[in-house]
Amino acid sequence: MKRMAGAVVVMAALAAGAAAQGPGEDPAQVVGPPRGPRLEGAALDARVKEVAGLLRCPVCQGLSVADSPSTMASNMRAQVKELLAAGYDHDQILAYYERSYGEFVRLKPPLRGVNWLVWLAPLAGLLLGAAVIAWALRAPRAAVADVADLPGPDALPADPSLARYVLRVRERAYGWPDGISPARAAASPTAPADPAAGNRA
Amino acid sequence: LAATAPSSPATPAARAPVNRRVLLLGLVVVASLLAVLLLNLGRDPHTIRSPLVGRPAPAFALVPVGGSAPVTSDGLRGRPVVLNFWATWCAPCLEEHETLQRTASALGRDVHFLGVVYEDEADRVKAFQQRYGASYPSLLDPEGKAAIAYGVAGVPETYFIDAAGVIQAKYGYPLNAETMAENLRKIRR
Repeated sequence: MKRMAGAVVVMAALAAGAAAQGPGEDPAQVVGPPRGPRLEGAALDARVKEVAGLLRCPVCQGLSVADSPSTMASNMRAQVKELLAAGYDHDQILAYYERSYGEFVRLKPPLRGVNWLVWLAPLAGLLLGAAVIAWALRAPRAAVADVADLPGPDALPADPSLARYVLRVRERAYGWPDGISPARAAASPTAPADPAAGNRA
Repeated sequence: LAATAPSSPATPAARAPVNRRVLLLGLVVVASLLAVLLLNLGRDPHTIRSPLVGRPAPAFALVPVGGSAPVTSDGLRGRPVVLNFWATWCAPCLEEHETLQRTASALGRDVHFLGVVYEDEADRVKAFQQRYGASYPSLLDPEGKAAIAYGVAGVPETYFIDAAGVIQAKYGYPLNAETMAENLRKIRR
């Protein structure tokens, strides 16, 4: 009698399991037997939201299964709930959907293979940008002359005849007596116009 | 007026290293783009890459519209299967319906043709079948589990499964006579 009661319990459990999985394939055949604790109540609901938030809704544009109002996402949420209640863990559930949809279904691509680029490329770009800025700041600017090299207002060409011509032009254009700037005249009132003066003022 | 140009003429030889660097960077970018283009030139844009191609088809046990006993994937082994996910609200599904009907009628003895109803109701499917004909059964997938297991992301999607139960192709557009024949060749060897 006791054995019979045990058999009834086992059959009921099997039937409940089958009902939970619904018609079709047993996820255990895809990702192995459940590895986590069976969840229920508020803990189950919280975990459903968490895991569904990691899955991309296949029929939506950039929405997670947790956020999408589509029938497909609703079906997937119900299935995630069944899987968590049956004791499948987070990794098993993601692997189950990845089998069908590929890595596309994961909203957070795992750190492996070419996926490293997704995480490292922005960092590499940032470093490259910093290097370019540093290089640009350090590079000598050949086009811009040093202020000290610029000729002063009294600079004159070395050729005396040309220097005399320049002084005449300054006299006419600016009204400077003898073409000498007021600043220079004040500094050395008796100084004659020296063709070389002022080049390094 | 008397200012003379700074005596540091930028000779081509002095600028060459910078230009070469820019040129190299440009070449790398262009070469990468060209490589991507060349690698994908031969690919049919209508082919959807599915991780399930080359792998065993997910198992299912689904009740056909108007029936009671479920059709199981295990029961289909030994003959190739054309599994078509569709819905009555899907216009492209209606477009390919005639191709599926004709091919199923012609090859019904060699190949199992099955529809799987995606996000739709039995009554509408019955009305559709009465109006447009049904030479093969359509299975109900009320919780969408078969669609999810096969990685369906819209309808129509058709899976070509060989006699050993391995998915050989997935076609995600309305089938015509040509694409049907091309995909059937992959499972009728």
